[in-house]
Amino acid sequence: MTAAAVTAARVPPDTAGRWWRGHRADTLLALVAAPAMVFLFALYLLPVGLLLQQSVEGGSLAPYEKALTDGLYVGVLFDTMLIAAYVSVACLLLGYPVAYFLTAAPAPWPTIGIVFILLPFWTSILVRTYGWMILLGRNGIINRLLLETGLISTPFPMLNNTTGVLIGMTHVLLPYMVFPIYAVMRRVDLGLLSAAEGLGAPGWQIFRRVYFPLTLPGVLAGVTLVYILSIGFFITPALLGGGKVIMIAVLIEMQVRQFLNWSFAAALSAVLLTATLLVYLVLRRLFRSDLQWS
Amino acid sequence: MNETPSGSPIRATPTGGGGDLTIVGVVRRFGPVTALAGIDLAVRKGEMLTILGPSGSGKTTLLKVVAGFETPDEGDVLLGARTVTFAAPAKRDIGMVFQNYALFPHMTVAQNIAFPLEMRKVAKADAAKRVEDVLRLVDLAGLGGRLPRQLSGGQQQRAALARAIVFGPRLLLLDEPFGALDRKLREQMQLEVRRLQQHLGLTALFVTHDQEEALILSDRIAVMDQGRIIQLGTPQEIYRRPVNRFVAGFIGESNLFRARVAGQGYAALDGGARFRLPADAPPEGTEIGLLLRPERPKPLANGAAADNSFAGSILDVVYLGETVKYRIRLDPGIEIVVRWPFHGSAGSLRKDDRVTLGWSGEDLHLVEWS
Repeated sequence: MTAAAVTAARVPPDTAGRWWRGHRADTLLALVAAPAMVFLFALYLLPVGLLLQQSVEGGSLAPYEKALTDGLYVGVLFDTMLIAAYVSVACLLLGYPVAYFLTAAPAPWPTIGIVFILLPFWTSILVRTYGWMILLGRNGIINRLLLETGLISTPFPMLNNTTGVLIGMTHVLLPYMVFPIYAVMRRVDLGLLSAAEGLGAPGWQIFRRVYFPLTLPGVLAGVTLVYILSIGFFITPALLGGGKVIMIAVLIEMQVRQFLNWSFAAALSAVLLTATLLVYLVLRRLFRSDLQWS
Repeated sequence: MNETPSGSPIRATPTGGGGDLTIVGVVRRFGPVTALAGIDLAVRKGEMLTILGPSGSGKTTLLKVVAGFETPDEGDVLLGARTVTFAAPAKRDIGMVFQNYALFPHMTVAQNIAFPLEMRKVAKADAAKRVEDVLRLVDLAGLGGRLPRQLSGGQQQRAALARAIVFGPRLLLLDEPFGALDRKLREQMQLEVRRLQQHLGLTALFVTHDQEEALILSDRIAVMDQGRIIQLGTPQEIYRRPVNRFVAGFIGESNLFRARVAGQGYAALDGGARFRLPADAPPEGTEIGLLLRPERPKPLANGAAADNSFAGSILDVVYLGETVKYRIRLDPGIEIVVRWPFHGSAGSLRKDDRVTLGWSGEDLHLVEWS
């Protein structure tokens, strides 16, 4: 979010030793970045600060104690992490082959594939989630189809439970997995695969030892994006979970809307923010050690 | 394939049949284009054979057919006595060095070199020893732990070579491997590759469009054009006795004249000049090409005689270090290029100087014009 500022800081020192030129470039970059910085400060940093202030209102850390020790809330945090992990794995397993298809398929297919991935991406999450309710419900299209063809005798529960939440979230987040992987796959030197083949590697070894490691940066980027977006997800778990699958964002909303417990909601938000940053740092550390070659 | 070698890390593979690599009547078409129009070629055991040709001559397709990345429409490829025409690349036991080296960027140099051994299920300890040995052989000892991008271009080339020979391949394929190196390093690497290939007795097929490189490295050269092998011979034979205009023009610098055999051992050039021919000239009336290498004509002192002697004036002088190249317009209106050793600036000729050139009939080599 502070990419502009980072770029500004990384401008190399002016080689001719004319410090003022480099200085001026820095100033210019700072000016260019300023509107975004002001925007982020006013609409992100400030509200977050106010929220954090609310969480410690009256100088008490009680809301944090409750959020981090009460089994109920720790459980919610744990479930959230677990669901995010499932969604990430599901997106990876589904997204990796799709990304490969986009890279390797002949002429019109990659474009068609990208359009198919982007179309739902451009559609409101709310609309898509209601769409899944129609498909997954007890009397939904899928269950009726399965019942009428005699494959099952009682409706398969796919709504108002974890299954539904996982399906909905995986669907919404899939593009965030596909595109980073696709971007990396496009840059893989296919000559390396021929080289591996020539050196005696069977197909699956070429994948395991050469292709997959080379696409790993994309995989890590995709997993990071999907995991971080997952742990803060609200609409899909709220609607497809039907109040039975409580993720942390759902819990926060309940605290504000139903219990008007602002300080506890603020504390939970702080916990979510911290968890997100931690996940980001851990995954970035992984990146660092695995990205050495690029 | 997996037994422990004794002594050297590189095993010589047992030979079978006449050539170590035999290509028989190979044809490959791409739609209406015939990339290979019937190639017959035998690479002898321990020999470095170069496929030399311009881009589009089919040399890369031929390399792919040998490596197994292309399947010929007709004909066969044999390694020793074994027919491998339809075998997968992984099953051919061929070591390849690619133009861009194709080192795996995420593996260390040692892991790269161990890769073909690992694929052949060589025991870990044995593989490690072989990697050490081959690293020493290519002068990379101690650099096994580095990633390819931490190596210089020349070192990457050595690593690629080590990876291609570590498993004792039946055949070594070199696909324009020196293209990315600067001139000085290129010459050094060419000599090293040659030394290593001879030292290990490797059978090697080398593909290049660089005639100079081909002359330096090869036991034999096969010149390709339009999907055919035009001439096969030692570098000397190819340079001194090119079979046609294409080969003559492609290898080395040359003066090439279109002429018609006129009788009494002379040929008449298009411009009206007459050249004395060598003894074995074809019958009168034949249209031929006359090849005169730039080092053959000599400056004639006053009164000296030669089979062919022409006066002319110097158009350009190009100083090339040990030699000087002159472009000379002979009085009958023929332009030729000559190259002589440089003997200091005192005796050298300048632009517009007059000079008389002489050469014997035997200095001319006759080629087919068409």
